Amino acid sequence: MIDLPWIALFDALEQTVVMTAAAGAISFILGLPLGIVLVGTAPGGIWEHRAVNKILGAVVNGFRSLPFIILLVALIPVTRLIVGTSIGTAAAIVPLSISAIPYFGRVSENALREVDPGLIDAVKAMGGGSWAIIRDVLVPEALPSLVAGFTVTLVLLIGASAMAGAVGAGGLGDLAIRYGYQRFETSVMVAVIIVLIALVSLVQAIGDRVAGRLDHR
Amino acid sequence: MLIEPISRTHPDTMLRLSNVTKRFGALAAIEDISLEVRRGEILGIIGRSGAGKSTLIRCLNGLEKPDQGCIEIGGRDIVPLNERALRAVRGRIGMIFQHFNLISQKTVESNIALPLKIAGWESARRKARVAELLELVGLEAKAEAYPAQLSGGQKQRVGIARALAASPDLLLSDEATSALDPETTTSILTLLKDINRKLGLTILMITHEMSVIRAVTDRVVVLDHGRIVEQGETERVFAAPQADLTQRLLAAAQLGLESL
Repeated sequence: MIDLPWIALFDALEQTVVMTAAAGAISFILGLPLGIVLVGTAPGGIWEHRAVNKILGAVVNGFRSLPFIILLVALIPVTRLIVGTSIGTAAAIVPLSISAIPYFGRVSENALREVDPGLIDAVKAMGGGSWAIIRDVLVPEALPSLVAGFTVTLVLLIGASAMAGAVGAGGLGDLAIRYGYQRFETSVMVAVIIVLIALVSLVQAIGDRVAGRLDHR
Repeated sequence: MLIEPISRTHPDTMLRLSNVTKRFGALAAIEDISLEVRRGEILGIIGRSGAGKSTLIRCLNGLEKPDQGCIEIGGRDIVPLNERALRAVRGRIGMIFQHFNLISQKTVESNIALPLKIAGWESARRKARVAELLELVGLEAKAEAYPAQLSGGQKQRVGIARALAASPDLLLSDEATSALDPETTTSILTLLKDINRKLGLTILMITHEMSVIRAVTDRVVVLDHGRIVEQGETERVFAAPQADLTQRLLAAAQLGLESL
């Protein structure tokens, strides 16, 4: 067997998967409603409201313009408030989520905006309100695009979680820096790269498959 | 004792528009429209594109609010109603569309069940009603199919089944055959005529094709630049058209130039 710190590698993989999955789930649960509100308050939307749309758009842009490493550090007080500590895997989930929510919000906004307005009209014409429009038109029609966008979000989270080592969250990126870079153990660096490529490919393949299965257009 | 809504309209009047005007900015999309649709009849509204047909139909189910005039459905003016009350009115009006507007991610069955779901029907009742409707439009075998797997004519049959699901008092048809080939158009028009006879359903049909008017309507209203230029019994209008536009539309129809 190649001489690698196997236990450290598996621990790091687990930490990366936990951070990505948790932040991914949170960004989906909060990002989708954000996307719905962005589309709904836009001109011609179901709750057309210029001010809300502008403010929300500005907040989303604000968070999205910050590089993750800065967000990670800047959010330390917030993290401490929510998790109780600013160090460790659980603590890294907070900044990861906060960076992914606006991203997935925009992704959902784009997906939802592509829905044929004729379908919204049809549901209005049968007496449907906002809830029926969201539940029976917007979300089902955009579902394949939402899944594709969520896959991209997950891949981005895998990348961002590499920086979470800066707050002691561990993960594959942290392992690569500590062993591969600081200790000149090239074999660890190569192993991490291979694991990351495999992980991203797996996530993308599953995402593509699910999106394809859900697409009846 | 039941309290009937007070109405000055004839009991046979399903829908009555009085002096309805809708402007977009300075442009009047429809101006001073007055017309009546009687219970059980098929009324056709014909006009060229931009004549105001779509605006008119959108006013009828409250998707647009007219600037002036009143729209009485079953004796009640819907213009002053708020959104919540309008939603209830819309639940009693079925609508079919040129591009069918089916939810592509839902099966035929779920598409037809949608108005019932919105109206709060339980799932078992919905299923039974959907089965009836599938039979009515001859698509029993396609219940599980998705719209993308259907032909244009089949999609419009689903659209019709969906529009009829909640047993509406009125069916609005917005260029329902304009995206179909002539043969399919005939079969859809035959189906609509059948439904009109069998269920006594009142149908208001908007089209730019004289052939559609001739095939199914009892009376016709000719719309030009947002105004009514002629209206009357379909046979009479075809035999002796009065307005310039009607004559031109008829001449074009005879030359087979309608789609131009």
